[in-house]
Amino acid sequence: MVETATRSDLNTTQDREMPRYSTLIAKMANSFLYRHTLGAAVETRMGRVALLAGLPLIWIVALNLGPIYQMLKISFLSNYPVMPGDKSEFTLENYIVFFQEPIFFLPLIRSFVFATATTMVTLIVVYPVAYYVAKVVRPSGRPRALLLLLVPFWAGEIIRTFSVIMLLSNRGAINVLLRDIGLIDRPIPMLYTPFSLGFGLIYLICLYMLLPLYSAIEKIPSSLLDASADLGAGPLTRFRRIILPLSKDGIVSGCALVFLTCIGVFATLMLLGGPNTVLFPETISSFFHGASNKWPVGAAFAMIMLTTALIAAGLFVRLVGGKKGSTF
Amino acid sequence: MRNLVPDFPRAALTAFYWAFLFYLLLPLTLMMALSFKDANFVSFPIGNLTLDWYAKVIQDKQFLEACLYSIGIAAASTLAATIIGTWIAMLIVAEGIRWQVVIFALAVLPAVVPGMISAISLRIFISTIDMPTGTGAIILGHTVHSVPFVVVMALTRLRSMPKNMVDAARDLGADNIVAFLRVTLPYLAPALFGGMMFCVLLSIDDFVRTFFLGGYRATLPMLIFAKVQGGMSPEINAMATLVLVVTTSFGLYAEFITRRARTR
Repeated sequence: MVETATRSDLNTTQDREMPRYSTLIAKMANSFLYRHTLGAAVETRMGRVALLAGLPLIWIVALNLGPIYQMLKISFLSNYPVMPGDKSEFTLENYIVFFQEPIFFLPLIRSFVFATATTMVTLIVVYPVAYYVAKVVRPSGRPRALLLLLVPFWAGEIIRTFSVIMLLSNRGAINVLLRDIGLIDRPIPMLYTPFSLGFGLIYLICLYMLLPLYSAIEKIPSSLLDASADLGAGPLTRFRRIILPLSKDGIVSGCALVFLTCIGVFATLMLLGGPNTVLFPETISSFFHGASNKWPVGAAFAMIMLTTALIAAGLFVRLVGGKKGSTF
Repeated sequence: MRNLVPDFPRAALTAFYWAFLFYLLLPLTLMMALSFKDANFVSFPIGNLTLDWYAKVIQDKQFLEACLYSIGIAAASTLAATIIGTWIAMLIVAEGIRWQVVIFALAVLPAVVPGMISAISLRIFISTIDMPTGTGAIILGHTVHSVPFVVVMALTRLRSMPKNMVDAARDLGADNIVAFLRVTLPYLAPALFGGMMFCVLLSIDDFVRTFFLGGYRATLPMLIFAKVQGGMSPEINAMATLVLVVTTSFGLYAEFITRRARTR
């Protein structure tokens, strides 16, 4: 009885596969075991709620909030992991030490400057590309134009970072090219500088900016642009008065996403950064490798970074976005 | 309409798009080209070509083990993330559930927490529950990271689902579980497939969580990272090129399948 109902409603293309799957489920639903356990449970309101909400709520509380709660707890302890015979007491020392040493707070400031600059450059570079795909390309050509941009995205963080080294190293493509055409005698050291790190970061994250921007710009009705053009608005006016305000949601969520990703980048930092570009993730990491009794300090620093990053992103979304309209 | 758009911005935008694409593809192309270089050091010009590096990589036991290890972790974490993510999405769209916005915000939290922080908090978490670092911890970490993406994709699809489909099944005597398995799940399938493909790529690509949660066995990104830090050799280029070709074909295939499912 149930079988006919579902089949007619569903995709006809799945008909060939459906019967076996359906029989299996019908068998399950009619089995003695099912009828006296799950089947009985869903007939009561309590059972339905437990089945529906049980696992999701446990997962969210235990694994989305649990780790952050534990990190917060440990950040107030004097030592962790606690060795036998040692005592661990409540302390604020791990937070205080952050403000006392420039080698601790400077990397955080540097991280913020870097992430902000990278986000702004990415926005400026990616915006025209998103606009081109969303508005200039014919609708039938859009998937292909977008797909071409997505190809490097599948390469992964480490491989993309490694490929940037091929371009920027002392014997990399740029230096060899410049030497061959006679512009330079010795290679320009580009790797392990703020430049290489910024270049690598933008290369890594520009697609996180592209997708929100694209979907926001695509939603702007072309009739609005036509109407304003009819009324005499030039390209600049149209951009400033129509396209920019209407794509604000995309700008806000793209920037927030890129900023938060940038702040937490680790592998690219290790591979492309140098002694002048010690950012906060590197500082935090040093407390977890090697001297293991520094975990509470690392946890406190991670809490500082998490709260400042989320507050900065939240303020940005609130101030620029106005209402809560981002994709998150 | 076309006449109204002046030609100059149009041409400039087109040129910019292609320049941007060139920028995106150039480093990867250079990396691939250098994998054929017949010399021990990575630099231009390439000179003589060889396939020796590929032969070396394919016989490299460390590389093959890392591949299998990465694939295993990706499969396990994707399966877990798909089940949990779908479940959470079902909870969010269910009738009579309050605090939906809060549940959604908390469910997608791991997607907005910076990767480094997520890795460290998980490292601390597994130590407080006495879980050892290693395979289990990596799978857990990747699952936590993947779930939000499944939730978002499943939710998008669920919101476009006609409500009367489930009602019809209920009227015909299916209980909630049967209705879910036979109506909602098949309807969700294309979105879940896309979500799973995305999770596989996320897991294979992940470095920072694996770095903090892993034991001595290296996943693919860990192996390549260690080799890059150890010194340049065209062997790394060959290894990276192989991985790149496989993951890109996988991504293209996933894109193709989800797009076909969407247009039907």
